[in-house]
Amino acid sequence: MQYSQKVLDHFMKPHNIGKLENPDAEATEGSPACGDQISITLKIDPKTNIIDDIKFQSYGCASNIATGSIITDMAMGKTIDEAKNISWKGAADALDGLPPVKMHCSVLAVDTLKKAIKQYEIEHGLAEKESFSKDTIVEELKKIIYPGVGEDIVTLKMVKYVGFENGVAIIDVDIPKFDKYRDNVAEEIKEHLEAFEEIKEAKVTI
Amino acid sequence: MERIYFNNCLTSKPAPEVVKITTEYMKNKYYFPENFNAMGTEASDNLERAIKIIADSMGANSKEVHFTSGGTAANNLAIKGYLTANSNKGTHIICSVIDYPDILTNAAFFEKSGFEVTYLQADNEGFIDLVQLKNSIREDTILFMTTLGNHTVGTIQPIKEIREILDNSEHKIAMHVDACEAYARIPINVNELGIDLMSISAHKIHGPQGIGALYQRKGITLGQVQHGVNRMDNLQTGGMNIASIAGFAKAVELAFNNFEENMAKIRKLSDYLLNKIESTIPDTLLNGPRGVKRTPHNINISFDYIEGEAIMMMMDIVGVSISTGSACASQGLKPNYVLMALGRSHEQSHSSMKFTFSRYNTIEEIDYTVEKLAEVVKELRSRSPLYN
Repeated sequence: MQYSQKVLDHFMKPHNIGKLENPDAEATEGSPACGDQISITLKIDPKTNIIDDIKFQSYGCASNIATGSIITDMAMGKTIDEAKNISWKGAADALDGLPPVKMHCSVLAVDTLKKAIKQYEIEHGLAEKESFSKDTIVEELKKIIYPGVGEDIVTLKMVKYVGFENGVAIIDVDIPKFDKYRDNVAEEIKEHLEAFEEIKEAKVTI
Repeated sequence: MERIYFNNCLTSKPAPEVVKITTEYMKNKYYFPENFNAMGTEASDNLERAIKIIADSMGANSKEVHFTSGGTAANNLAIKGYLTANSNKGTHIICSVIDYPDILTNAAFFEKSGFEVTYLQADNEGFIDLVQLKNSIREDTILFMTTLGNHTVGTIQPIKEIREILDNSEHKIAMHVDACEAYARIPINVNELGIDLMSISAHKIHGPQGIGALYQRKGITLGQVQHGVNRMDNLQTGGMNIASIAGFAKAVELAFNNFEENMAKIRKLSDYLLNKIESTIPDTLLNGPRGVKRTPHNINISFDYIEGEAIMMMMDIVGVSISTGSACASQGLKPNYVLMALGRSHEQSHSSMKFTFSRYNTIEEIDYTVEKLAEVVKELRSRSPLYN
């Protein structure tokens, strides 16, 4: 599958590029080592909780830049509750689709936006910090896309077992032996889970 | 404007002369050199002429050249053929971590079948570790394999020195080189370099796709890899690609008729590009060695703070084809393994761009490319959280 014209348009002329001074909320997700990183800054009206302004910066490929552009368009002028409902599938649809191997870009962009909003809610007493549990791990695994299909590994029923005890997360994933994305998925699970301060080690068995 | 093509290491445009002769063979000279009738005799003469052109280009004898369906088929025939025929002499083989996938995947295959493999490390310019090579040789070492001109960074391995090291051993160690990148780009004489097996490919030198050749030194035994009807010899079973063989020979003739002139032109293009990038775009890093120690057609360079697929896509939109070592553009979403083995960071690998030239490229194309590249790099850096 190729990039849609809409992806190319947003890639070549992205909307809302930059960094807001004194933002009310901000988040950075991904890492240069992984090849994509996105930073989002927001201005939020404290009375209405409407996103007055939003900007993003991107280190990443064409679809990373295009998804940053589309989700900032989608969030602009919305309340934070509305913006929280933007899904990675919705963002990909708004770009007339993404190749399956690029779906993770949409997940990263949407996740960054949600992290920024969550931070804002906690700081303004609108939400409490969620307690960490096995469900948190499952939710995090839903952000990991199997690049061959462009769907997350939980929905695809690739996750066979999730365990969490004494700071160690144990994940059992079912991926065929000669699958070219096998190592990639395993690495991504480790990276995602070990970013939690509650998790000392993530053991992934395939 | 016509598209500017700098992906000649992936595949190159067939020369008009190659297209002409290949078409002519498909139309009128498609016969196999099967028997002594008029068509068979003509086919046999033509085939012999083609083999001789290719053999001469590397200082080989016609009997030492076998046609294959490409570089990968030649590598498979060399490695599988040699190891199956010689495993009674030993089961240890040596290659390096930066070799072409054909070598690495074959090494892994034989490792699973009971062979032992030593993977040599490379320095930060892509030269394999010769001290490690010396120390790795054992009584049961039977084959050394290398990529003569590295497919990613163009590093030319010191084959003569390697041959001397192998010859210091008390027993014969065969040397197989994958020369698909280096052939017709640097002078290669199999006798002077002491090469035993060498694979080459037509489509990387303006020949047809789907045809390659294996040089097999006289006295080096290969086991049969593909069994079937024996038309040429038992290493080339099945039907022959007569038209492509004719096109391959024509491509070799064109490359070697003006070899030094062509190479000087391509070297000049590479130097010009590198110079121009380094003098106009800040924060870049050349991957691989500088100057004559790399194949003349290859420039690989990293651009700090930005990612390669985005550079590639933007350059594509302005009509320039180049490639990247970024994970985002790779099949398995991994950063380029050669650059990682050379000690480059993930970021430097993700931002690496590879330009591979041919004699059809021009200085004007490079002027346009660097002008656009400078704009693209500036634009992407302005969007990057790492730059601001």
